[in-house]
Amino acid sequence: MNYKVSEEMSVMEKLGILTDAAKYDVACTSSGVDRKGSGSGMGNTVAGGICHSFSADGRCISLLKILFTNECIYDCKYCINRKSNDVVRTSFTPDEVCELTMGFYKRNYIEGLFLSSGILYNPDFTMELIYQTLYKLRREHRFQGYIHVKAIPGADPFLIQKTGLLADRMSVNLELPTAEGLSRLAPNKHRKNILAPMRQIQNGIKSSKNEIVLYKNAPRFVPAGQSTQLIVGATPENDYQLMTVAENLYEKFELKRVFYSAFVNVNEDKELPALPGGPPLLREHRLYQADWLLRFYGFKAGELLSEARPNFNILLDPKADWALRHLEMFPVEVNRADYQLLLRIPGIGVKSAQRIVMARRSSFLSFPDLKKIGVVLKRALYFITCNGKMMYNTKIEEDYITRNLLTVKEKLPFDKDGITYKQLSLFDDVGFTMQPNIIDTHKAVLGQM
Amino acid sequence: MEEKYLICEDSLEGIFTGIYKAYSLKEDHSRLHIQIGEEENLRLFAEYIPIVPDAGTAVRVSRTIQRELGEETYISICRALASMDKQKGEAVYKTVVCGLQMQNGRQVMGNLTNPYVHKVFELNRGTNNEVLHLMGFLRFQELENGILFSKIGPKNNILTFLAPHFADRLSLLNFVIYDDIRGIFVVHPASKDWYLVTNAEIDSEMMENYSREELEYQELFTYFCHKIAIKERKNLNLQRSMLPLRFQEYMVEFRK
Repeated sequence: MNYKVSEEMSVMEKLGILTDAAKYDVACTSSGVDRKGSGSGMGNTVAGGICHSFSADGRCISLLKILFTNECIYDCKYCINRKSNDVVRTSFTPDEVCELTMGFYKRNYIEGLFLSSGILYNPDFTMELIYQTLYKLRREHRFQGYIHVKAIPGADPFLIQKTGLLADRMSVNLELPTAEGLSRLAPNKHRKNILAPMRQIQNGIKSSKNEIVLYKNAPRFVPAGQSTQLIVGATPENDYQLMTVAENLYEKFELKRVFYSAFVNVNEDKELPALPGGPPLLREHRLYQADWLLRFYGFKAGELLSEARPNFNILLDPKADWALRHLEMFPVEVNRADYQLLLRIPGIGVKSAQRIVMARRSSFLSFPDLKKIGVVLKRALYFITCNGKMMYNTKIEEDYITRNLLTVKEKLPFDKDGITYKQLSLFDDVGFTMQPNIIDTHKAVLGQM
Repeated sequence: MEEKYLICEDSLEGIFTGIYKAYSLKEDHSRLHIQIGEEENLRLFAEYIPIVPDAGTAVRVSRTIQRELGEETYISICRALASMDKQKGEAVYKTVVCGLQMQNGRQVMGNLTNPYVHKVFELNRGTNNEVLHLMGFLRFQELENGILFSKIGPKNNILTFLAPHFADRLSLLNFVIYDDIRGIFVVHPASKDWYLVTNAEIDSEMMENYSREELEYQELFTYFCHKIAIKERKNLNLQRSMLPLRFQEYMVEFRK
């Protein structure tokens, strides 16, 4: 093979550089496919996925997430590996990737491999290298664990097809939600080129499922489905645009997951926003919450946001926010409401809704019962009745409930902001039309604004 | 009437034998209780009956549970009994009573308004969560003789729930998982069935004789974990809440 490999570099150094270069891709799940070990190789997969460790940023480490190479012919402004950056470049060899994966896997460090890559020479060449790596791993090393691999936009569909038969999950990153944003920040990428492999994978998954019905042992194409990633906060798109794009991806492309990645400014490019308050973590968090509502709670993007209200409320989670705007539907009688309606009550999640449906078969549920089942009563109590009675004498009134919900501190996954939002709830104004960032809220609290 | 306490051994066998005995007394179940291990606070007006575990009786009880309450309930009960909780015997006993009184016993675990069923539900969830955690957090170290060795310190007695997962995953390899708290082992010889070993001495010298590559891999992975973190998002509280310190203690990447 005649691609550039710095011979003198150790695997340790390469691992450092190519992990560093891959870490901004957020898709690190190992879920979506259940596969028992065959007894003739190493590995199996578990439908729910397994987290093997957590890094210092609190993100799960499930897969050996690396780039095959950080050499790249493209110059995307947000990317650390763009060709105009002066960084050390290196590449793994397929054998090195295989050995690392096997060595890590048998020690139970990882659930499998996540292989992405910069574009070396051209998309076809890169895709071929990825394919060869996967082929070695699956056929020579008989690895049966999880593999997530990138489909390189612009690569020969035949190569993508071959690779998909060896991988569990494939992804093509949309990166920016609008064609306009993409052409501004990623001048070498075109929306058309990104959507084409996405459609190909979708069709591949469909026809593979049909084949499996006919021939039980037909090879499976991308059995864990495909995913994509959207960068949040690098371009001025609002939450409504992001959610609409995500909804379309779920409905029209049948994606398994859309990941949101709070933009981290690594390049200080003039086209990119300065983020003195750090990456927009709260915004990312709200988008994930809303994404869950789309996938598991039967919500539509249009119910959560609109042209007139294009951004999520920073103070309330999207479901509570929705409920407050639809008080005419509440209170709901927990002992009778159907499952879909239960899911719309703040403080009741998928699991507690399922348990309620199960438990009320054998007896009427009371408030203490709900608490045992896992309902967060502090949030739910304004929206429910048990046997016709509310828990306390509360008013069904937007301002009143909002005030009370805000006193229950929301559990956010990042600690440094908690205090700020608590303080902010002193102001009763929740109708922000512009999304204040973390710095704004700090300033507001400190009286600088 | 006085209350009766059946003192059972802390094992599946012990508690199932206790349940059998409780039924054979033909008394009101509300006055009968199962207690694990030695009686702590003796009550006045209570009778204490020691139960000798009996394998045959236990098997009959387990068959009845599987038949009447379903396989899923049975697994929930087994997981609850692997918990370190001391009230588990009583909770399981009363859950079985509740299930056998229901028209469809297979729905017993949905009856969460019953405090005993709820207890079993919680214990089952606790054990199961720990199994799921350790499926990821467990670390193998390769010894000089090629065996993969792992030491864990679980709260609950979960080895038997953990072993099938690794036996399926690493079926061609020899591995040993050691429960540091209870002093029991799971041994998996390559391409054979796994088995439990109790009352065995651990050869600590052998366990520190690593293979040639072992330390290099540990270093590689530690470096990987370091590099994969995004410093702009650093959040040690989140890390700790996702991966509690009691697990970190046994993990190579957190070793200082």
